[in-house]
Parts: sequence; C-alpha cells; structure tokens
Amino acid sequence: MKHYRLNILLAALAVAGCKKSEPAQEQPRPAEPKKHAVGLVTDVGGRGDHSFNDSALRGLELWAAGVAFEGSAYKPVTREEVRRSLAEDVARLEPPVEPLGVRPLVVQSKAQEDYEPNLQLLVDQGAALTVGVGFMLENAVEAVARRNPGSKFLLIDSPLLDAKGNPVKLPNVRTVVFREEEGSFLVGALAGLVSKKQVGFVGGMEIPLIKKFEAGFKAGVKSTAPKTAVLSSYTGTFDNVAAGKQIAQDMLAKGVDVIFHAAGSDGLGVIQAVKEARSSGKEVYGIGVDSDQHHLAPEAMLTSMIKRVDLAVYQAARDLVEGKLAATDVVLGLKEGGVGYALVRAEFPGKAEALAKIEELRRRIVAGEIDVPSNSAELEAFQAAP
Amino acid sequence: MRERLIRGALPSVLSVAAALLLCFAAIAVVAASAKVALDAYLAMVWGGLGDLPRFLDGAGVAVLARPWGEAATKAGLLALTGLSVAVAFKAGLFNIGAQGQMILGAIAAAFLGAQLELPALVHPLLCISGAAVAGGLYGLLPAALKLRRGVHEVISTIMLNWIAVSLVENWLVVGPLRARASGDLSISGTDEIAATAQLPRLLGETSRLHAGFLVAVAAAVLLHLWLSRTRLGFETRAVGLAPEAARASGIPVHGRIYQAMALSGALAGMAGALLVLGTEHKFPATIGAPYGFDGIAIALIGQNHPLGVLATALLFGALRAGGTRMQLFGVHKSFPELIQGLALLFVAGRMVWDHLLALSKRKRPAEEAPRA
Repeated sequence: MKHYRLNILLAALAVAGCKKSEPAQEQPRPAEPKKHAVGLVTDVGGRGDHSFNDSALRGLELWAAGVAFEGSAYKPVTREEVRRSLAEDVARLEPPVEPLGVRPLVVQSKAQEDYEPNLQLLVDQGAALTVGVGFMLENAVEAVARRNPGSKFLLIDSPLLDAKGNPVKLPNVRTVVFREEEGSFLVGALAGLVSKKQVGFVGGMEIPLIKKFEAGFKAGVKSTAPKTAVLSSYTGTFDNVAAGKQIAQDMLAKGVDVIFHAAGSDGLGVIQAVKEARSSGKEVYGIGVDSDQHHLAPEAMLTSMIKRVDLAVYQAARDLVEGKLAATDVVLGLKEGGVGYALVRAEFPGKAEALAKIEELRRRIVAGEIDVPSNSAELEAFQAAP
Repeated sequence: MRERLIRGALPSVLSVAAALLLCFAAIAVVAASAKVALDAYLAMVWGGLGDLPRFLDGAGVAVLARPWGEAATKAGLLALTGLSVAVAFKAGLFNIGAQGQMILGAIAAAFLGAQLELPALVHPLLCISGAAVAGGLYGLLPAALKLRRGVHEVISTIMLNWIAVSLVENWLVVGPLRARASGDLSISGTDEIAATAQLPRLLGETSRLHAGFLVAVAAAVLLHLWLSRTRLGFETRAVGLAPEAARASGIPVHGRIYQAMALSGALAGMAGALLVLGTEHKFPATIGAPYGFDGIAIALIGQNHPLGVLATALLFGALRAGGTRMQLFGVHKSFPELIQGLALLFVAGRMVWDHLLALSKRKRPAEEAPRA
C-alpha cells in the first residue's frame, strides 16, 4: 500500500515537472504592430445580458476594434458587417462609426470586490483607456484613476463622488451619464397608445438611476393615456433572471398587457414571461432596455428603450486614438442621440399614427417644450399638471 | 508524523492536481489549442503568486505586491469560512449556514465601523469582535433548533441563509442602514466606514494586502491548537466522532455542540468583517460571491484540519485571484470555480472509493472463513 501511494506521488511530481519545463521551450512572441489597448471591466451582470453590458462591449469590440467575440476568441469582422450592425440613427452620424484598430481587453467581474483589481489588471496590461461599465464601479474607478494618473478612464452611469456624495473631478477620468427618463418617456407614450388595459414597469435595484426610467416611463404613459394605470415593481438585483420572470408573471396575471423593464439580466426573465404569455395567445408586449432586445422574443417585443452606452464607449475610444480624450462630464439625452427607442417592428392597429405621435413628442422634448420628470417628486408635479 | 501528513494530504493534493489537469484539457479542447490553455494557466499562476517574469524584466515591485494582495484577500475570506465549516464538522455538524453567518457579520462590522468613533487599531478590533458575536449568535440558532426541537442543521442552516439575505440585503441595506448620502445619487450599500475602522494595508497603497489576512492565519493556528491541545477541543472532537461514547464518559454533549456552532458562526462572521473592513469599506448592495458555500469545499479539500484548510484557502485564493487573468485569453470566467468544484468532487469521490475499499476488505475474510 505504501509503495502504491509513493508511486502516485512520484507520478504527480513527474506531471508537475513536465508542466513546469514547457514554458522554457516557448519562443518569444513576434512583436505585434503597436495598437492602442482599450480595457473594459463589466459589472457583475457581465457578457451576455443582451442589454447594458453587451451595449458597452459592442461599442468597444465590434465598433472600435472591428472584432466579434465568438466561443473563446476574437474573430475579425468586415467593415461592411460593422456598418450593418448600426441602427439608422447611428449610421447617419458624422464622422461615421467605423473600426479604429484598437485592441480590446475585457474582464468580467464576478463580485463587487473584484472591480478594483480588475481595473488595475487592465491598466497593468497596458490599456491606455479603461472603461468601467456601471455606477457600481464608481469607487473602484476613482481609486484606480488616482493611483494611475498616466492612464485614462471612462466611467459609465455615474459622476465621480466622494464619500459624502459630492461630485469630484479627476484629470484622467471622463464620466458619461444618460437622460434615461427621456427615452423612457417615449416608450411609455407608445405603451400608453398600445395598451388596452394596464401597463407595467419592472426595475432592478431600487436606486435613483432606475427611478429615472420609472419616472420617465410613467410620465410618458400619462401623456398619451392619462387613465391607464401603471403597476411598478422592483426585483432588487440585476442578475436574477428568475426574479424578473416571477414579477412579470404576476403583472400579466393582474391584466397588464405592456411591460417595460429596466432590470439588467432580470429583464431577460421579464421578456421570457411575456414571450410565454404571447405564445399562449395573449395580446401582450414587452419593451426592452439599453440595447435593442427585439431578437430575444421577435413576436412579443414592442420596442426597446435604447441607451447608447455603445456610442459613449466608441467615442471615448476614438478620442483616445485621436489624442483628444478630455476629462469631461458628459450628459447624453434625446437631443444628443444618447437615448431613444428601437425600430418598432411589431404590427398593431393605428401604428402609423402612434409613431407620428411619438415623433412629435420627441421633437417637443428636444425643443425643450416638455420637461421630462427624472424622480418621483418631479413625476408628481408632472402628473398634477393638466 | 511525516507519514501521517503525507497520507492525510495526498488525496487532496491528487484531487487538486486532477482538477487542474482536467480543466487544462477542457480549455485546450474548447480553444482547440494547448498553447492557449498553457498561456492561460501561466497567467493564472503569475496572477496568483506575483508576476515574477515581469518583475525580472524590471517592472517594479508592484507586479508582485498586487497579486499577493488579491490572493491574500481571497485566501483570508476562504480560510475563515473554511474554518467555520471545519469546526462544525469536528463536532459532527454540517454547517451550510456560513454564508448567512457571514452576511450577519458583515452588516455588524459595517454598522459598527460607520457609527462609532474610536481610535485606530481599537476600532477594527471592535468591529471584528462585533461581527464574530453577530455570526456566533446566528450560528447558535440552528444548534438550538437541533438540540431542542430535533431539526436537522442542514435544513435549518440553508433556510437561515435565506433569512439572512432577506433581513440584511433586502431590508437593512436598502432601508434603515442605507447610505445617507444616496438622496438623488446612485450609491448602493450602507454608509462608508470611518477611516479608523479600515484594516491597515500592509504594503502601502500599491497592494490591497491588509491585516485581515493575518487575522485569518492566526485564527487557523489558534483553532488548530485549541482542537489538538486543549481539553475542550478534545471533547469537541470526541462529540463529533462518537456522541454516545462522549456522553457516557461524562462530556456535556449539548454544551460542546452549542460551543462549536457559536465558534463556527463567529468565524464566518469574521469573514464578513474582513470583506467590509479590508476592501469594501461598506456593506455593498449584496455579498455577491458565495464565500460561505466555498467554505464547504475548502473545508472538505482541507480534510477539516485547520492547517489543511489554511493551505487549501491559500491555494484557491491564489488560483481565483489569478484566474481572472485567464479571461484575457478568452477562457470563460467560471473556470477558477470549476477547478475548485472538481477538486471537491474528486476528494468526495476518493472518500467513496476509500469506503468501498474498506467494505470489500472487511467482506473478504468473512467469505473466506467457512472454506478455511
């Protein structure tokens, strides 16, 4: 018995020995042509949320780098394919969105405490610009930016804040926030026109950021269907698909026929619930968020509230390449093309008039005639107005 | 002594090696390239142990210190939750509730850290003690349910995990203890703790290596001495091995079980304190990573021996901190956990194997007896 164990030990040592000796034979890699490396750290939602994180990844990987992540490696895509992936409004932009030849470095975070080391890792890997996707990375971006004054950072969805919540500025950090309430207003107005009974809103974490979606959406419903009730509910997370599905099923059972979600991966469950109700013959619709989520349930999606995280990431990468990445605090709304709604592919009676109405509302918001509420206090004032 | 060490550790070492090899093969097959798998593994090793090649190229000490910090941070958490599970095992209990006890400890540390004004050194110690008390009390609940009402601790601790999540993450953190600054801002979690309550960083600002790691190492050594060198520790082990015999020889079985569960909960609670005081400096919106459940794997792979648990936690802390870098080679983010899970499977498989072997050995003489 003793000999048997000794043999196993020796075998294990031999295996370990082999593994160690291999790298010594490895040839040094040929030097690659110098490219700007752009890092991106996702929040815990990660790749594959078909929403917020995927939008940021699209801006970096497909648009800025001209590559697609398939299976476990990057595959180059043609300029033509990149152009075809652009929605109409983005395709019209000048200068055009086309690959910049940057090298993407992407790390997905698995826990809150990993944000800071992940950002630092990408800086250490040579990223000239590192993107922190989501307000939850605010502390981490601030700490890493202070420690690495020679590197640039882009923070999505939050300004930099000190411990007391006052905004601070760093010379190497650009921040981008969106007027989600404006895009949500338009999809809310459309929901009001389409719904025959009630509409629903499913949020993720109950935080001011998500309250902006809710306030804008409710105001939008009010603008086209003042009598329609809006149910709203929060899952408390961004990565619990089951919770989203459960809440959506509850709403559908209560007679809601259009549901808008702003709940990250939880929203996949919302869409799943709507899709199932749809295939059992109910006339219900879902409204996606952040990215165009039509492909998740082509029959059941009315539209999606688009938040151009992809464009914000792409523009930062382009500014980096062109050497003009300034540390500004950017706010993107309807006017700037930072939010909007996806192509409405669903067919319903009165579609042409409905879309004309939505476009008119868009013009009025851009012109400043409608002040879209962004929190519950403003929403009350908005609803009280005639 | 040496032979005992080898015999005890060998199944775990082999299981970890087998898990590493299997995942290596899996990555190589998925990427259709052994080179990718090798690069990814090397990145993981240097990411966990310190980037020695780049250091030798003259990259500065930060490329060593940062990986150490991340590995030690993860190892400290895994060691404490692993010890928590192990000490309950020693008393014959399967504590699946380390996650819930850790959450209770974390919120206690975040509360004490933010609300009290105390001098440095005293403040973190008090927060850690508070977390240990909170976790310990939460650990006593399943012990009381078991001894008074006969509820099996596996059932009660699983359910208490969910109660902890609901109580802390779905109520306290978004309700009464929500960050005061959050008015119109998107800040998640509780107030940040005072600077005095933060665990000091051992290598300055370059690395997140903090004093909590020393707490975890000290806990492992003290627990080892307590179990192997004191009367109480001996009695606890006796209760775990044979409760009836322990009772017959005058050991207060109930007392030892209460004690072990309180200790188990306290250790898990301290893990929560380390997370809050060491790196997060507040209770985040959720404790995303399941360190409490990882503790079960760490305890089993460490053979429930405090020093074995510490060694296992160091290994997996380094693997998981370094494993993030595998993503840069297109490897899926779950591989570090997969290695840990497979190692657990092989350790458990080995136990089954040993058991079958022992059974067949016992049977054979019995079958042969009539013939002789």
